[in-house]
Amino acid sequence: MIDRPALFAIAFAIAANGLGVVALADEDNVIVQLGRAFHPGTIDIARGSTLTFENRDDFIHQIYVASDSFGFDSEEKAPGENLTETFDVAGTFEVHCHIHPKMKLVVHVN
Amino acid sequence: MQKNGFLYAFGKLVAAGAVISALMMTGPAQADDSLYRDLGERTGIAKIVEATTANFLSDERVRHTFDDTNIDRFKALFTDQLCVVAGGPCQYKGRDMRTAHKGLHLTNRDFNAVVEDLQTGMDSCGIPFRTQNRLLARLAPMQREVVTR
Amino acid sequence: MKRLICALLAAGAVYACPAVADTGNATADGTAPLFDEGKLLATGGVSNVEGAGGGGLATWALITGYGTRDGLSANVHETYIDLPDYSLQSPGISVGLYDRVELSYDWQAFDTEHTGKLLGLGEGFTFHQQILGAKLKLIGDAVYDQDSLMPQIAAGVQYKDNDRGAIIKAVGGKASDGTDFYIAATKVLLEESVLLNATVRETEANQFGILGFGGPRNSGYSTEFEGSAVLLLSRNWAIGGEYRTKPDNLAFAKEDNAFDAFVAYFFDKHLSATLAYVDLGNIAINNNQHGVYASLQVGL
Repeated sequence: MIDRPALFAIAFAIAANGLGVVALADEDNVIVQLGRAFHPGTIDIARGSTLTFENRDDFIHQIYVASDSFGFDSEEKAPGENLTETFDVAGTFEVHCHIHPKMKLVVHVN
Repeated sequence: MQKNGFLYAFGKLVAAGAVISALMMTGPAQADDSLYRDLGERTGIAKIVEATTANFLSDERVRHTFDDTNIDRFKALFTDQLCVVAGGPCQYKGRDMRTAHKGLHLTNRDFNAVVEDLQTGMDSCGIPFRTQNRLLARLAPMQREVVTR
Repeated sequence: MKRLICALLAAGAVYACPAVADTGNATADGTAPLFDEGKLLATGGVSNVEGAGGGGLATWALITGYGTRDGLSANVHETYIDLPDYSLQSPGISVGLYDRVELSYDWQAFDTEHTGKLLGLGEGFTFHQQILGAKLKLIGDAVYDQDSLMPQIAAGVQYKDNDRGAIIKAVGGKASDGTDFYIAATKVLLEESVLLNATVRETEANQFGILGFGGPRNSGYSTEFEGSAVLLLSRNWAIGGEYRTKPDNLAFAKEDNAFDAFVAYFFDKHLSATLAYVDLGNIAINNNQHGVYASLQVGL
């Protein structure tokens, strides 16, 4: 027999998904660009995971990684635009913005 | 009599409009690259941008806006921008002025400080005053896109 | 002469004041001071003969000084006109509020020199006039709107109060005070390095109010015009010419239209000097009143 708390949790999960709210599991892979910084500033992900970069800033942003084993260089995205990047190589990588040199995101790919 | 009066007034208005339109057409023609040549073409403009950017970075009123900016990227875009505005054979690949500057919350004072640094930059490149003003005439309307505060 | 020296000393004090040196620089966090000195050099005009922002003879649509729409400006000026038979000395102060409103106070001393004696008033008889001015920028921007022919337009008033009521009545003037109303349109054509201004003024003033207001020939308002054409030679130098029409209200003396040719030097945003040849035509019983116009403006 399902007890009340479990029932409530199931109802909430259904409602949350139904309302289009990002489920807790997906939130782990969203990086917000705001105030010319990445939020969070570091993240641990499994190899093959995809990160979504949401530009919620007032500035145009771009992302790139330049390392020997893995790299990418994205288009510039205006406020309100998103892009995704898949990290399929293990290691620790620094994501930067070529417009704003002080922005840094550290990604640990397991 | 009243109808004639109206036609007469209307005729005068049309004539005035024609004169004003003719005056407006003495403004810069889009296909004309004379300003581009007078600024020294791409090399000359790059020198202006170099001098001007150095002014920005030492101008107390302005330099904080470049705090977290890739200066090389800025200089390349600024050079393309001025080249296009001056009627040169370049392409500006940056975003529109409003999107590019929105987050900086610039004031008229900021905009004018940039103009002054550009004037000083052009002075150091030997650009005559009248030529400078021809460029500023094309940049001035950007104020309403660049200034958001 | 004493007043002239005092005014110049005051101007010098304003210029030397440390606060003057501090304004215009950014504070540590990059915000602007209240007297932000943000406008481009020369775009506040100079102070005209009535103490308003403009050229020499004409009032322009520009708001005096260098405060942008986010700040203030304030300046003092001293003007001196030397004519064959008269002289005018005129200190004044004006403020600019958010590049939208201009307020000015001008005090004029018109010395009739020897003509005073000829008129039975006494050698060096002087008319004094106070002018309170208010100007409101209505629409347009003379500097930024380079992609349209639309000028910057401002409307204003100048209340003038002359202290020689009895003399004014004696020469046929109707009143010793009066108000001018004007609309000015100013445009900077950067493509040509030129500034143009056209002002329409409703006035009853005789010789700018120095000989009172109204007269036997016209006791009401007349519509007058003032125009300026200025060539910008460099950031610091400008030359120009102006023409101003005037009413001709008094019967005892003809009043002519006025003309000037000037050179203005903008040393920096705190100091400018204007030197002109001015032709005021006939004033009272003397014809050919043309001479030198000199003005200094010192600001915060």
